[in-house]
Amino acid sequence: MNGALVTFKKELLSYFVSPVSWIVAILFYWWRGFELRGLTTYYAYYRLDQELLAPQTYGLGSTFLMVILVPGLLTMRSFAEERRTGSIETLLTAPVRDGEVILGKWAAAAAFYALLWLPSVLLLHVLEYGPFLATDLSFGPVVAAYVGMFLLSGMLLAFGCFASSLTDNVLLAALLTIMFDYGLLTLPSQIGAQLGEWGQNYYVRELLDKLDVMRNFSEWFARGLIDTSQVAFYVGGIAFFLSLTGISLASRRIA
Amino acid sequence: MIAVTDLTKRYGPFLAVDRISFEIARGQVVGFLGPNGAGKTTTIRVLTGYHPASSGRAVVAGHDVATASLEARRHLGYLPQEVPIYPDLRVVEYLRYRAALKGVPAKLRRAAVERAMAKAGIADVGRKLVGHVSHGYRQRVGLADALVANPPILILDEPTSGLDPNQRRRIKQVVRELADEHTVLFSSHILSEVAEVSSRILVIHRGRLRADGPPHELVAQGAKRRLLLTVHGTPAALAAALVGLPGSEASPPTAGADGTCSVALSLERGADPTAELGRRLLAAGLPVHELRIVLPTLEEYFHSITEGGDAAEEAAVQATAATGALS
Repeated sequence: MNGALVTFKKELLSYFVSPVSWIVAILFYWWRGFELRGLTTYYAYYRLDQELLAPQTYGLGSTFLMVILVPGLLTMRSFAEERRTGSIETLLTAPVRDGEVILGKWAAAAAFYALLWLPSVLLLHVLEYGPFLATDLSFGPVVAAYVGMFLLSGMLLAFGCFASSLTDNVLLAALLTIMFDYGLLTLPSQIGAQLGEWGQNYYVRELLDKLDVMRNFSEWFARGLIDTSQVAFYVGGIAFFLSLTGISLASRRIA
Repeated sequence: MIAVTDLTKRYGPFLAVDRISFEIARGQVVGFLGPNGAGKTTTIRVLTGYHPASSGRAVVAGHDVATASLEARRHLGYLPQEVPIYPDLRVVEYLRYRAALKGVPAKLRRAAVERAMAKAGIADVGRKLVGHVSHGYRQRVGLADALVANPPILILDEPTSGLDPNQRRRIKQVVRELADEHTVLFSSHILSEVAEVSSRILVIHRGRLRADGPPHELVAQGAKRRLLLTVHGTPAALAAALVGLPGSEASPPTAGADGTCSVALSLERGADPTAELGRRLLAAGLPVHELRIVLPTLEEYFHSITEGGDAAEEAAVQATAATGALS
């Protein structure tokens, strides 16, 4: 596992020195700050039930930025850039397993992604004071929502690694991941609506339900519920896409 | 340390390496020579475990690269042809990262990096970003990377390509110094370099191993010696004097300036027709202006085996194409 740890450290450092990460972070906090300010003003003005506020922050536009655009932007370079510059050759001829490299790169992306979210907890905390809400928010749902967000994004980042391993074009890798993320968020509910009678079939319904990540998210994690079948779904998804990445890297050996 | 048996590598229908076999003993510095596209990089990539062989076996430090790839890679330092860069890391950071990746223990890492940088002669650019150092330095950063885990075997793919003469000399010097402690396989398409540095040369062309031996031996069994002769007289008189000279073959003489003419004779192996030549020139009344025997260079040897191979192969291909068209 030494190889995974070394790769993890190096990749995490790369995120901190890359301008893309800083632009993403600035964009996210700028947008999220405005949205939270609007939301709290709204809640305070109409004296709404503040228990609902924390879950509702996950429906904000900046959340969609983080779920649809950011995974692709974080993982686009992971393998595509190494393939483009040829450094993949020095990397994979070092005495490390392909799997260790993949795991290290994915874990670094996931860790950086989690770090991007982390200060938003502080934003919520700030809202508890003075001019905004002047009350205690319940942080149980917040923690559950962060766990859920981490699992969901872990799967999207795993897909990002896979997409990046398919091409030596960084932009193409990002676009593939963004398309996948957008499709996963919007297609299951739309397909369910289009299927009509056939959609009532038990297995089809179950499958679409499991794939409908946004609805599952709002029904479970955002309410403070951590459901093992949901966790299994995301962990399985992560394992699946990381394995595909491994196959994609190994395919150079088949030629 | 390296043993390759009947190694074949195909990329789809293209046969890149065709049944190559060789062995390299501990402490040898072997030049791997061939024109561009001969199969050098492909062979090296099989040895480093980057590509698998289509058939045949490659063993590095006693470990089969197909079945014990990690162990084999642990004994290898590899400098690829295009030294890739992570432009956002400093040279020391890059080398420390590589040392860690290669499993150099944390306590020894600093010393290992310093030693590799000293050996490669890049101690002065340690704080620079890898993306900012010149091509020659980047090549040496790659060399330091190959050396950092102090592997017994070094594989260097065209380490001097794209460098200026001073940088080349520096790299050659480094390779010579490495010979004391490491087994080195060093590819190049420049003969003089390989001849200077290595004790043995493997010549590969069109995926096949064409020759294997010390540089001077390859020359001796290769191209013919030539005798260059310039006399005062007419080309016709000179040609007449040379007819039937034993052990040699003459090209038609050419007239030079101020009444001289010259001719080049290629000599059969072991033949020395100079005494007979002197008698004939005396009899014909042709005063000798210059007479010199030119030993074949490695360049000519290389040319003779690679170009000759080309011609023969072209003919074979055309013959096949012709029969194909007829049937």
